[in-house]
Amino acid sequence: MRGEALAEILRRFSGDHQVLLTLSGILSVNQLLKDAEDLYRRSSATSRSRIALYGLPAIDFITSLVAFDGKVEAMLLLPVSLDEAATLRLVESAGCTHYMDAENIVEVSREQEECRFSEAKVESESEATQWLLATSGTTGRPKLIGHTLASLSRSVKRDLEKGRCFVWGLLYDPSRFAGIQVVLQALLSGSLLLVSESVDFESQIEGLLQNKVNALSATPSLWRKLLMDGRIKVCRLQQITLGGEIADQHILDGLKRQFNGARIVHIYASTEAGTAFSVYDGRAGFPAIWIQNISAPLPLRIRDDGHLLVRPLLLPEGHEIVQRLDSDGYLDTEDMVRVEGDRVIFLGRASGAINVGGNKVTPEYIEGCIREVNGVHDVRVFGKKSSMIGQIVAAEIVPYQGLEAKRLRSEILHYCKLNMESWQIPGIITFVDELKENSAGKLERLT
Amino acid sequence: MREKIIDIITEIASDSGWEIVANLNDDTVLLESGLDSLGFAILVARLEEELLYDPFSMMDEPVYPRTLGEFVRIYERYSS
Repeated sequence: MRGEALAEILRRFSGDHQVLLTLSGILSVNQLLKDAEDLYRRSSATSRSRIALYGLPAIDFITSLVAFDGKVEAMLLLPVSLDEAATLRLVESAGCTHYMDAENIVEVSREQEECRFSEAKVESESEATQWLLATSGTTGRPKLIGHTLASLSRSVKRDLEKGRCFVWGLLYDPSRFAGIQVVLQALLSGSLLLVSESVDFESQIEGLLQNKVNALSATPSLWRKLLMDGRIKVCRLQQITLGGEIADQHILDGLKRQFNGARIVHIYASTEAGTAFSVYDGRAGFPAIWIQNISAPLPLRIRDDGHLLVRPLLLPEGHEIVQRLDSDGYLDTEDMVRVEGDRVIFLGRASGAINVGGNKVTPEYIEGCIREVNGVHDVRVFGKKSSMIGQIVAAEIVPYQGLEAKRLRSEILHYCKLNMESWQIPGIITFVDELKENSAGKLERLT
Repeated sequence: MREKIIDIITEIASDSGWEIVANLNDDTVLLESGLDSLGFAILVARLEEELLYDPFSMMDEPVYPRTLGEFVRIYERYSS
């Protein structure tokens, strides 16, 4: 069944309704729709096209969503942070016919196209345009998840009366799941969305202050940074959303104290499961009665091994999803939880993946890199709990005998700096005689 | 405490190649000191290894310090 396209939804607003606030001024619905139509015409895309969107300024990215949703077969939304190899691989596996970046939109050459549709032809049951999102892998193996506007906007509030009072700030990459949520929330509820072209903290915060943003979504780590910086306190925030990491009680309390009267919500979502649920009561975790299916926003289960399972009404498509479904249709979120009193508390990823301020780090990848440093006999990488940014990367190193620890440490750090992003580099390095293994003979990654 | 904290800041900066402002003092704004929020998180983790406590996880009323002076006072308050 074909859902309504983004442009059709926007057409319901009056033409002069203001949607986007950019450096060069305010964009009305009419202007956005016109820019989108111009782009579609320029693109030579057809209903069979599959378009990769990469590295676009936020405003062009949003225009592209409006231009192509409902008109093409699929849009592949590529985060800027992906490296070239991963980008190419995804463009290929998504079977893209067009590639659009900040410079141009080009057709992908035909001879290469032949072999491309195998993985990409995910069992699409609807005629709605697929929004293909990349999972946030940092090992160079991000996977594709096939959403639609309907699955992405399932939990978006559409209260136009409330919506028009909000000016949303956008601090996320709009091509990531969390960023798309902010864009759709603002567009579909008739709010004004401040679109910043800069990822630099200083310019972002100045934009928020100058434009009197009153609704903001960020990771708990970024909220801590905003509170430390302090300038955000002059913004009269009415809507505060936290997502992308575990929201602890400290940050929820800190925000409540600072922005008295604001609606504070922490969202449990992932690229794979979409938005599973939102928690409004200002407490960390979620109510344990939801597990007994009482007042639960969707069916939830805790498996014997502590994995949280969810059964969303509308699941995205793709092999990655099918593999993680059990016979009752529950999706393994691969998040570990524990019941504590009347709450279910999040413990972290089952895979041991580390969440550094919203950036996912795969321990095995970091271990592989560190093992290449001369003098490293063995290494264990794990997440150390951080009251500031969720987790930081920690490493235990078994050095070859006779090596000076200080020198080896500086060589490891030097190598890491050359080969890793800053959040992947271990912040804590300790030297040990041997690594602990668990009963299964695997490296222990619990912190 | 102040010296210990400054020593660790300098050590993290040298490990990570971050440039720290020359004269760290009580009025230095932490996010303008040269440490970003990741560096700051590493500082708190290193201090926890050294002092065996993390005041930010012990607070009943969350406080997010803006200056080095505020940061030092938080550690002093929770020592012992």
